[in-house]
Amino acid sequence: MTRRLQTEILVIGGGATGVGIAWDAALRGFDVILVEKRDLTHGTTGRYHGLLHSGGRYVVKDPQSARECIAENRILRRTHPHCIEDTGGFFVVTPEDEGEYPDRFVQACAETGVPCEEIALREAFRREPLLNRRISRVFEVPDGAADSFLATHVTAQAARQAGARILTYHEVTGLLLRGPEGAREVVGARVEDLAGGETLEIHATMTINATGAWAGQIARMAGLTVEVIPGKGVMVAMNHRLVNTVINRCKMPADGDILVPIHTVSVIGTTDVRVPDPEHYGIEPWEVALMLAEGDKLVPGLSRARAVRAWAGVRPLYQEGYTGASREATRQFTLLDHARRDGVQGLLTIIGGKWTTFRLMAEKTVDKACEYLGTRQPCQTATTQVPGAEQGHYWLGHRLHEVEEHELHGDLVCECELVTRAMLENAVYRNPTLTLDDLRRDLRLGMGPCQGGFCTYRAVGILHEMRERAGEAGGEVDRSDWEVAYMQSPAHNRSLPPPSSLPLALSSPNLLLRDFLQERWKGVRPILWGRQLKQEMLDSLIYLSLMNVDHLPDAGLTSPMTAFYEQDAGDVGETEAGV
Amino acid sequence: MFTESWQSVGPSLDECIKCNICTAYCPVAAVTDRFPGPKYAGPQAQRFRENGQPHAPDRSVDYCSGCRVCNEVCPTGVKIAELNARARAQMVAEQGIPLRNRLLGRNELLGKLGSLAPRLANLGLHNHVSRVMAEKVVGIAREAPLPRFSEEGTFGSWMKRTAGERLRSDRKVVYFHGCATMYYEPFVGKATVVVLEHLGYEVIVPPQNCCGLPLLSNGEFGAARRYHEGNLHKLVPYAQQGYEIVGSSTSCTLTLKEEAPELLDMFDEESEELKLAVWDVFEWLRERYRQGELPTDFKPLPMVLPYHPPCQYRAHRVGRPAAELLALIPGLDVRVSTARCCGIAGTYGYKREKYQIGMDVGAELFEFVREQGREVRMTACDSETCRWQLEHGTGLPSRHPIEVLAAAYGLYDLERREPRGV
Amino acid sequence: MREIPDLLVIGAGLSGLMAAYEAAEAGLRVKVIAKGLGSMHWSAGTVDVLGYAAGDKAVSMPLQELEGLQAVAPHHPYVVAGAEAVTEALSRFVALAKELGLPYEGAEEPGRNLWLPSPVGAARPVYLAPQGQRYGDLALAEPIVVVGFEGLRDFYPWVIAENLRKQGHRARGTVLPFALLSERRDANTVQLAQELDELKRVVTLARALKEVVEPGERVGLPALVGLDRHGRAMEVLQEELGTRVFEIPTLPPSVPGMRLYRALRSDLEGRGVEVEIGMEAVGYEAKEENGGFRRLLWVETATSARPLKHRARAFLLATGGLLGGGFDSNHEGRVWERVFDLPLAMPQNREDWFRPKFLDPAGHPVFQGGVSVDREFRPVSPEGKRLFANLWAAGNGLRDCDGIRERSREGIAIVTGIAAARSILVALRREKHVH
Ligand SMILES: Cc1cc2nc3c(=O)[nH]c(=O)nc-3n(C[C@H](O)[C@H](O)[C@H](O)COP(=O)(O)OP(=O)(O)OC[C@H]3O[C@@H](n4cnc5c(N)ncnc54)[C@H](O)[C@@H]3O)c2cc1C
Ligand code: SF4
Ligand code: SF4
Repeated sequence: MTRRLQTEILVIGGGATGVGIAWDAALRGFDVILVEKRDLTHGTTGRYHGLLHSGGRYVVKDPQSARECIAENRILRRTHPHCIEDTGGFFVVTPEDEGEYPDRFVQACAETGVPCEEIALREAFRREPLLNRRISRVFEVPDGAADSFLATHVTAQAARQAGARILTYHEVTGLLLRGPEGAREVVGARVEDLAGGETLEIHATMTINATGAWAGQIARMAGLTVEVIPGKGVMVAMNHRLVNTVINRCKMPADGDILVPIHTVSVIGTTDVRVPDPEHYGIEPWEVALMLAEGDKLVPGLSRARAVRAWAGVRPLYQEGYTGASREATRQFTLLDHARRDGVQGLLTIIGGKWTTFRLMAEKTVDKACEYLGTRQPCQTATTQVPGAEQGHYWLGHRLHEVEEHELHGDLVCECELVTRAMLENAVYRNPTLTLDDLRRDLRLGMGPCQGGFCTYRAVGILHEMRERAGEAGGEVDRSDWEVAYMQSPAHNRSLPPPSSLPLALSSPNLLLRDFLQERWKGVRPILWGRQLKQEMLDSLIYLSLMNVDHLPDAGLTSPMTAFYEQDAGDVGETEAGV
Repeated sequence: MFTESWQSVGPSLDECIKCNICTAYCPVAAVTDRFPGPKYAGPQAQRFRENGQPHAPDRSVDYCSGCRVCNEVCPTGVKIAELNARARAQMVAEQGIPLRNRLLGRNELLGKLGSLAPRLANLGLHNHVSRVMAEKVVGIAREAPLPRFSEEGTFGSWMKRTAGERLRSDRKVVYFHGCATMYYEPFVGKATVVVLEHLGYEVIVPPQNCCGLPLLSNGEFGAARRYHEGNLHKLVPYAQQGYEIVGSSTSCTLTLKEEAPELLDMFDEESEELKLAVWDVFEWLRERYRQGELPTDFKPLPMVLPYHPPCQYRAHRVGRPAAELLALIPGLDVRVSTARCCGIAGTYGYKREKYQIGMDVGAELFEFVREQGREVRMTACDSETCRWQLEHGTGLPSRHPIEVLAAAYGLYDLERREPRGV
Repeated sequence: MREIPDLLVIGAGLSGLMAAYEAAEAGLRVKVIAKGLGSMHWSAGTVDVLGYAAGDKAVSMPLQELEGLQAVAPHHPYVVAGAEAVTEALSRFVALAKELGLPYEGAEEPGRNLWLPSPVGAARPVYLAPQGQRYGDLALAEPIVVVGFEGLRDFYPWVIAENLRKQGHRARGTVLPFALLSERRDANTVQLAQELDELKRVVTLARALKEVVEPGERVGLPALVGLDRHGRAMEVLQEELGTRVFEIPTLPPSVPGMRLYRALRSDLEGRGVEVEIGMEAVGYEAKEENGGFRRLLWVETATSARPLKHRARAFLLATGGLLGGGFDSNHEGRVWERVFDLPLAMPQNREDWFRPKFLDPAGHPVFQGGVSVDREFRPVSPEGKRLFANLWAAGNGLRDCDGIRERSREGIAIVTGIAAARSILVALRREKHVH
């Protein structure tokens, strides 16, 4: 059975860019549907480094990007403050980085308008005691750390409030085409509802391809060629904050030269390697080793600290006609108007850029769409705050503080990352949830040192209990409006009465368990040694010896994510979502 | 303010595998919801604290008593108690120190003041009215077992007075007496001196500072650092000459060896030299015993003696040397307690909001003592504040094991707490 | 001078304590040191001997599986010990447990595994269960009501019941108010168990249970029915309810495991065995002896200042493997034994440590490696040569076993602990050190 939906703008891709477009377009009064094949931020947005760029990284190499970054940095601090931690950033000159670059850097900052101030070494070491003492100069810039999971979710909520429909676990399998060769027109897309098992036809006046590294695949559905340069980047999260300021090497961008403190961890990254496919790639041991070795140059001893997780994302880099190394490709974004470029109407592709510039990319894209659909209202995203903004900037202690003030210690489900039972319940009731991995992105469930060792079981038990109780009430699905603005706040989430029923997707606790255990395993495997290996063994003891989860009923059940978690690229490691 | 470094305390949070063993054994978490337990307050909460944070996110960490049961049972070596102590210091750095904690942290200063007119001071401190006042104004629990100033003069004055009688010998040992011995319990120092002399050692008592522990446990790291530096200055020269430094207070010796350097991040050569020279007196005596140098001319001491190894031994990680040596005394039936903590934990149990917690924690120990029968006349424990708490909780007098040992050598009167004239 | 102990056991897990028990029983002076407390606090408190054999085959008669084991894992600790020693060690444990007042029982038919409900309702293969868990036996016919407590984060009765039903058992779940257990807002299972050491609370709980239990049902509760007075609490519940009550283990900390640990430890202390926790072995001293052996003189533990020496005639390494803290590993792919740097039979390359799936039935190679020992449980070199004249090894740090995957952790600990202690006894007698 095929259901038919109609809209003005269909956005494909639920990453930062796609969601930003949905928000912008809805605010301008368009009728919008967004489809994402998995959960929001399943793509690169959920596997990035976590840095709200000041632009400092690009001042020498890519001044246009730098200008965009600093402008957007200032805007996002106003529109999405609770998704951002104002860590500040240092550009540091290690013994390897001496030479003329630092002076060029200062000069270029001035030229591009990126605020930059050289600070005394004593001051730098006072603020960051673990920093390499052989560093000779330190420049401070307004870098920050950004939670792309939360930012994308609240942006999606803002879009919904403005009238957009956001459909997750909806995969585009084909584009609806009309007209003969030469006068072809894209009029929407065929979409599989992976959770509901339905096929939809979504008809749209304008279809926007915001699938990042997958953009080539979507374009191909219209018979078009878009060469995306997939640049894989590996990141390693260390168990706690080794620094509280973003630390960048003051040199031409290279591998392993940024250490980002985000939430409870610090992340060293990244590599940049061309890969053939944005969906299938592994994490090589040399990549992990390189990150640790480079990390040691910023914070000597980093390689001996505990790593909790590794993941990789693929840069959706695009440069018309470019075939060189991916590190050298531009970080600017490109908007392809396929009517002009290829003579195919009704399709735009937006590609490249950075998380930091997603709003700008969305603005330009919708501007372009307006050329075809007619302008309704000017762009408002630069001045509109997303829900939850009144919380102000994120600070590391906030969860600990709220748990303390409200005496919620006994309600913690994920003890490492301080997720309470009520947070979990609310996230399920108020936002589409299919797997525990979705809750991880929403709440940071299972992202701490034990990597789900304790909370996987608890979350499964609670979700199952919710279903059981909903069943008792015996009513229909009652999912209140999407409400994620305070999703991460222990204080704001109070236990709700059970709704009359819950989505079918949560029906098998055994599947939830297996999926999440495998999902966690993928991301820890590349960094299992020392303390994390010991942890993993305790986790194994819990799930095998104590629970016997490998001999539970329903062994054959799969979710839309099962294959993804189990996919093995034949390497030690695997691609992984999220900071 | 402490500096974060790779040495010991901070990074040890990475060892935690969240296994909950510590939380199952923490005596404070066992009796109150106000303290969320070692795993939570230590390695877990630490991931949410940072240098220069807007404000200290959690205060409940202040309910950790520092007993270190957690450190002992933790299978991975997380320095939980120390993480907690540092978190408290960060709180203190932000919020300032309550007058009460300032007072409790300054044992030495108080001792000096009190010893000027001990009777008056005792009268002033120990009457009901002033205890109620003390509770209301500064928050020192009115029932808490505050010590009494020695009315017989300080330990220092005794050393001076008896200088002519003290043993001279080629074998010398340095004695670190600590504040409690100096001002409140000079008899512990006297017992230590006569025992050391009985082994043939000349006892040197150099000028010394408070070890700084009360300051450390109240989060006053700046002042503690000054004390430790003072001790380095005064004691390291002895260490360099090859003298061993023994102390009769398990907490002072622990502070000199490990607590001060670790909590204050003082890993310099001098601290290391001092650390390697310092011994708890029973740790040192046990070593003599193992070398066959301990006289065993004990007189029988027929009695049942419940003995509580103080929490600091846990951190010394030297076992229970006092129990080992007391077991050598004929007739003495030493019953070693398995209770986790007496509840006083330094100055913890003095505080109004923690007094009851301290008593609840100590209940296990008081119960143990009661179970040893009616004939029990006294208890023993190496640590001064624990002895005061034991006396408070059981109504029985309590002695330092060195007093018991001295008595077994016939050198000391256990009842009157003074050396027997030779 | 004080007599030095005959045996120094390093590690206070089940293998170390069983060895200490066996040696002390035989009259040796024994001392146990350990860095911290171990895996008994994490386990279900049952004695799992062998639940799954090669190819993930469910085992119903573990002792009959030993021959098969020989073929696939010739160095497996059970194979090293031999079938007879395995059987005997297990009966020894049963006798001891009874003496401790913490009886363990097996299936009705001797030698058969029990299948007990896990905290998610899977069937756990267990050889010996503490009496408190015995009536979870899924071979019994009575329907089960699993009773949880509102808000207790470590126990979910409905999941258990649903999975049991899926496996063909009659089961249902229900919850009672948390306040029946405790007035506290934040308490772990151990603290809750301590609350049930109070008789009054048990009686109140029994009354509340009566309201929800239907005739003919047996009652499954989270394993927190008393810590020190567990036996009494269970009796009172069964009496008041007139039906069988059993415990289902929970997430760590494990109350059943802790009961066993405490009972064992205090029994040992009663026998004059010193047990010192918080002492991490960091070094040792040995001297060359004729015959090319090295003889251990002492083991050193870290203190607040200088290392402390522990002399003994014989030494037993029972520190567990990667989990127990006996081994460490680094990102270069090295795994090493921490006290004596004993050679390990273990892939020394990170790429070979794991399989892609977490639940791979073949397990992960890094969890299967360990110390090689000879028939007397003395560590040997890869060439099979004894390394020390007076060092033995026992427990889950031995090679070619995967206690977690096989469900054999406690079996391995008990069997090898006792076997090593016996071997030590023989050796010391031979040396005429024991009178
Ligand atoms: C290693 C790395 C580190 C980075 N670090 C930073 C950083 O620190 N700061 C910064 O500002 N930027 C950073 N970036 C860049 C930034 O992450 C990306 O530019 C940004 O996230 C791209 O967002 P997007 O929405 O365009 O793409 P994506 O997030 O990839 O979104 C595309 C979405 O499309 C979906 N999709 C694909 N096919 C289909 C289909 N057929 N049907 C429906 N949906 C489909 C995917 O599931 C995916 O969710 C980093 C990038 C990488 C690779
Ligand atoms: S030091 Fe004592 S009170 Fe503090 S957390 Fe550890 S066990 Fe608990
Ligand atoms: S005992 Fe140690 S490893 Fe276990 S939870 Fe406590 S601190 Fe962590």
